[in-house]
Amino acid sequence: MIKQKFLALFLILGMHGTVLAQPLTIGYSDWPGWVAWEVAIEKGWFEKSNVDVKFEWFDYVASMDAYAAGQLDAVCMTNGDALVTGATARRSVMALINDFSNGNDMVVAVPGIDDIEQLRGRNVGVEVGFVGHLLLLQALEEAGLSEDDVNLMNVPTNETPMVLASGQVDAVVAWQPNSSQSLKMVPGATAIYSSADVPGLIYDTLAIAPESLDAFPEKWAKVFQIWYRVVEFINDPETRGEAIEIMASRVGVEPQEYSKLMQGTKFLSQSEARERFAATNDLNSLQGSTELANRFNLKYQVYSESQAIEDYMSAVLYEGQ
Amino acid sequence: MKHSGLIAASFALPLLIWVAVSYVPGLWQPYTLITDPGGVSFYRVDMLVANEQFASQLESARSKGLPLPSGIRSNPVYLPAPHDVTRALYTSFTTPPARRSEVWFHQSIGHSVSIIFWGFLYSCLLGVPIGVLCGAYGPVSRLFEPFVEFARYFPAPAFGALAVAILGIHDAPKIAIIFIGTFFQMILVVANTTRRLDNGFIEAAQTLGANRVRQLLQVTIPGILPDLYKDLRILLGWAWTYLIVAELIGTSSGITWFITQQARYKNFDMVFAALIILGVIGLLSDLILERLGRRLFPWQRQNDGVR
Repeated sequence: MIKQKFLALFLILGMHGTVLAQPLTIGYSDWPGWVAWEVAIEKGWFEKSNVDVKFEWFDYVASMDAYAAGQLDAVCMTNGDALVTGATARRSVMALINDFSNGNDMVVAVPGIDDIEQLRGRNVGVEVGFVGHLLLLQALEEAGLSEDDVNLMNVPTNETPMVLASGQVDAVVAWQPNSSQSLKMVPGATAIYSSADVPGLIYDTLAIAPESLDAFPEKWAKVFQIWYRVVEFINDPETRGEAIEIMASRVGVEPQEYSKLMQGTKFLSQSEARERFAATNDLNSLQGSTELANRFNLKYQVYSESQAIEDYMSAVLYEGQ
Repeated sequence: MKHSGLIAASFALPLLIWVAVSYVPGLWQPYTLITDPGGVSFYRVDMLVANEQFASQLESARSKGLPLPSGIRSNPVYLPAPHDVTRALYTSFTTPPARRSEVWFHQSIGHSVSIIFWGFLYSCLLGVPIGVLCGAYGPVSRLFEPFVEFARYFPAPAFGALAVAILGIHDAPKIAIIFIGTFFQMILVVANTTRRLDNGFIEAAQTLGANRVRQLLQVTIPGILPDLYKDLRILLGWAWTYLIVAELIGTSSGITWFITQQARYKNFDMVFAALIILGVIGLLSDLILERLGRRLFPWQRQNDGVR
């Protein structure tokens, strides 16, 4: 009797556990370049192509945690975060470039400060060790300043609009939607620097577990083809409106508001993305950009061992086409 | 119901303050919502600016002979007006899912309720028996309670990543967080309730020759049932407070996804609507359980509840 009850309890407990995952599971989150997958999901392109994939919607950080815990076959993340996740928990291979940030990441300053140089001696709110920090350092370097010339205050990116509005800082660094919220909340505030000034600093990618890429090359090739159908659908003026409608609905905002966020995201065509896999030392390639992120992560002790960049990227899906 | 007037007032007062702050001009409204930018280059329609800022721009536009900006007094976006929240409350339920993979709003809420239900159920299935045993037997108490006292300070969210690693990305890790958040407290509260049972009952049973098992099953448990029921009602409220952290773990789902996403895009009317729904569900379920409790334990009626 008691035994049966225990058995029943375990059965109930078991129901909540996951079945051993058969389809490819991919984690995605709120960034225009990744929300775009929603177009393929909504249109049923995966079913039509007979690819067994399951997209799971997450908060960005939670999606990387789930990947690190071995619960996903792939996750959408930036090249810098792919390094961090790999160095601290689980390596991935960036096999598809969705886009690069082309203005969505910004340094937003209060009225009266019109360029980076004027930040000398001022307070800047930024989430230390994340992509915003990287953007700020790049901006300072271009203006001939260093990090010691400004006073950094560690602020979670989600809170940057409120912090800027509080008057405690003279500038914040944030990405969408926080960057445009910062602009809205402080009258006269302007973006004095943005990722449009350094296109290629932040690449947004599909980072796949190496063992999964190795085991299911045909499946990933189909996912790859569907992605470029999505890019065509977004770039075609005839269907762009419908794409934005689907994407806006995924994140719960009005389409016209969402189309502003699309402008700061440069979706790469298949051939453009292919070129970004070339080995260069500048930000025009995934390698150069990731190299820079690696140095940044080491300098700020996000991790302590330099990562072998070439292990983190592969153009295998592009070569197979 | 002789206190019904006061009960109504307890809701009316905060509501009144909210209405006053939202609609009475000049009571607070520290911002101006721009309706016409006039000659101010950086003003845009629907922009919120501080009143002093607006006043100085108005002054400078006037002195320069530029078209004057105009606007209406307004509160920060974090405090939406009651009518906006009412509209959000209505539209959130009536808007059909826009995509195939989306669900209705009430289904999101149902999903959240099911997380609470399972987490709390598992917590009860383990926590109540252990708590009763701790309260009834000294050695059991000394074996369990020191560690439980220690473990109850663990912040449940810290187990999020571990829960995902073990239990997957869907509901199981969320249920686990609700469980961790309530289980340890439950043991201590239930043990305490058990200890408070009038010792006279136990002594009488011993005098009558009841063995330990019969004491527990026929005296202790029936004796504490009404208080145990009350404890669980309070602990259920505790479980609700863990919902938001639990649902942030793994895939985004339930009402938490709705709240965090709408907050990110500063749609605070939607956020308030969701908060009101959470409050209503909590309050209603507690009222129902209280009524049920009166039915189940009529002899407790005199010393139950607020007098």
